[in-house]
Amino acid sequence: MAGASRWANIDDLESQRKKEKEEKKRLKQLKQQQAETEAEALRAKKEQEELDSRPAKKRKLSPSPENRSASASSGEKRKLLRFEAGGWGPCRNVSNFETLNHIEEGTYGWVSRAKETATGEVVALKKMKMEYAQDGFPVTALREIQLLQHSKHQHVINLREVVMGDQLDEVYLVMDFIEHDLKSLQEIMPEPFLASEVKTLLLQLTSALDFLHTHWILHRDLKTSNILLNNRGILKIADFGMARRTSDPPPPNLTQLVVTLWYRAPELLLGTTTYDFAIDMWSLGCIFGELLSKEPLLQGKNEVDELSKIFSLCGIPTDMSWPGFRRLPNARSLKLPRDVEQNAGSIIRTKFPFLTTAGCGLLSSLLALNPESRPTAQDVLAHPYFKEAPKPKSAALFPTFPSKAGGEKRRRASPHAPVRGGAAPGLGGKEIDFSGIFARRDEEQHGAGFTLRMG
Amino acid sequence: MQPSHLATPLATIEQLETSGSQLDGIPADLEDSVRFAGARLTQAAGILLRLPQEIVAQAIVVFTRFFLGPEGGSLAEYDTKNISASSLYIIAKMSAWPKSPRNVINVYTYLDSLSSTFIDIEELERKHDAEEYYVSEGTFQSQKAQLFAIEPHILRVLGFQLHVSLPYTLCITYLQALDVFNQPRASELAKRAIARLNDALLSPQLLYLTHQSPCLATAAIYLAAKEVGVKLPDVEWWEVFDTDREELGFLVVGMLSVANFALEEKGKWGKRKVPMTVEELEVELESRRASNSEE
Ligand SMILES: Nc1ncnc2c1ncn2[C@@H]1O[C@H](COP(=O)(O)OP(=O)(O)OP(=O)(O)O)[C@@H](O)[C@H]1O
Ligand SMILES: [Mg+2]
Repeated sequence: MAGASRWANIDDLESQRKKEKEEKKRLKQLKQQQAETEAEALRAKKEQEELDSRPAKKRKLSPSPENRSASASSGEKRKLLRFEAGGWGPCRNVSNFETLNHIEEGTYGWVSRAKETATGEVVALKKMKMEYAQDGFPVTALREIQLLQHSKHQHVINLREVVMGDQLDEVYLVMDFIEHDLKSLQEIMPEPFLASEVKTLLLQLTSALDFLHTHWILHRDLKTSNILLNNRGILKIADFGMARRTSDPPPPNLTQLVVTLWYRAPELLLGTTTYDFAIDMWSLGCIFGELLSKEPLLQGKNEVDELSKIFSLCGIPTDMSWPGFRRLPNARSLKLPRDVEQNAGSIIRTKFPFLTTAGCGLLSSLLALNPESRPTAQDVLAHPYFKEAPKPKSAALFPTFPSKAGGEKRRRASPHAPVRGGAAPGLGGKEIDFSGIFARRDEEQHGAGFTLRMG
Repeated sequence: MQPSHLATPLATIEQLETSGSQLDGIPADLEDSVRFAGARLTQAAGILLRLPQEIVAQAIVVFTRFFLGPEGGSLAEYDTKNISASSLYIIAKMSAWPKSPRNVINVYTYLDSLSSTFIDIEELERKHDAEEYYVSEGTFQSQKAQLFAIEPHILRVLGFQLHVSLPYTLCITYLQALDVFNQPRASELAKRAIARLNDALLSPQLLYLTHQSPCLATAAIYLAAKEVGVKLPDVEWWEVFDTDREELGFLVVGMLSVANFALEEKGKWGKRKVPMTVEELEVELESRRASNSEE
């Protein structure tokens, strides 16, 4: 292993040089600090003496606004808005934390529960996957960090800081540790959430979504494994690995490779490259359904299968219900039966027999095929479903569950988030005819067969 | 780009009091010169890359943050021009106007080839082919490696704090609120105010690192109105924009002094180039030591 030892030597030299330098810097700083403490003591003494004349310490500047002598009172007069903006400092080293256990290995990172040695505080550490591409430090990682920094909200996971390993390409997010994610939690719950609990969760989730959308942030990967819940019933949206800022009109050529398949809106499956907040609202609908039944709502095996599951639950798009959908790239190869009698609402009602009319109304509107028909987060928050009995359960009254994240490693069954930089999805290879599948289903008396062909 | 709702993180007193460079024995006046030249270099590169001023401004703030405070980067350790290039590259990358390493490197190499540090920035606006400036393949590869290698250093020193909220949009909004756009010299006023904001980016008092954007916008308007001769309301209108008299006064003086500082710098360095690398800085320090011992 001659090669390896050679590198080791260079590393040694390098680290020795670094150490020496650091020591030098430390000494300089120490000296500086001493000087400062002395200066500080002097300053304090002087200030004490000057205490009375203090308010007069006002700059007199030549071109400045004419200095009125009523300055003492003008300071009191109006309270001017001041922001708490914080500052910046170098990343700390990850060695300030001890790993307690691994929580999850995702597509873009590894998450573990860890303890900050100095304070004993338990946090979640997410190691960012550094896919160095043609453009240096991965812009995806930069975006995830920036958007988390900008999304301070009660129901968005709190990013405390970013730390680095000994190598500068080891980057970790330090987040508040949250006991559960909704996916793992539902796996250990014997029964689905109660209607009152679903309402609370949905309201919290939607309030976070409203915040993000108000600030022009698309999440683009909403699903139960990315939604965390602590033992006090407080929900937090996590995983901003797919999120990005958008605008009005939306930037052209957004990637369609977003959102995990089971939560992916039909317009994405049909290949749109301009989409908006409605894709998150679709995912919200999927999550709503999943919370009610403890089962993912639309478990497609692939893009084509996902679309067919969507169409059989929500009906088949028509030029009336979704004008222009035929112009979407993948819709050209879509063979849909004409003049089918549709009653999407009734299929949803059959599937959720315990959901009230208002609840069905909300769920169907979130799962509207036409993105423009879906409600905004604001609309959802104001929906009558949340006003009718049972009332949303107070978060404090939520049951507590043993935390999987606090213990063993989790396993996952849902498909992973789409891989960035992959090819844009088409709709499979061969012509696929789904009419047979539909014929076997009870809800499909209307004979909603359609054919998808490779374009 | 959408304006962000967040305020700009500001430098702490400690960060303003000393710097990595000073701890490494670099005299404060030399540090000021290099920082000023580095900020101008970033501005010049941004113009040649035809980047929007918002991107350039953010890059200058990031560049300036990097060298600030005892834990900041030191001029004795990092090549100023590399920090400038990587700052600009990283900010552009995250924006809707990404620039390829090739273009960034070509432009920086072109700027490096000029004989003086104090090029006329306005002249650069007419230079359109700097992005195609010839760089040999070998140089390009090593420069690209540099560009990428520096990125994580900037991110580490800044703790990934790249956020800057800028005063440009605010400035226009404030002018509208002050109802100046029906006055005859309104567009001149707006231009002047924006120019003042651009000057302030180069301020040796680091105005963008010590003041929030509403105050910067307000001061620029105040100053520009005096200069252009547009009359603003006879009340303490700046308070509406969250700026108190004291801060306004301080900023006005700060903005006014940038031009003087620039002149002084130009006079001080004359035909010599301001050191933009560790090596060049060493040479400068060496010649200072030599001339000191002669005296
Ligand atoms: N702050 C946290 N506290 C506790 N657990 C967390 C936290 N953040 C994430 N997790 C757990 O780790 C899992 C993966 O996290 P995250 O989704 O952020 O990573 P990812 O690699 O982007 O995932 P994927 O690509 O699979 O969606 C989550 O599903 C959740 O179970
Ligand atoms: Mg995830």
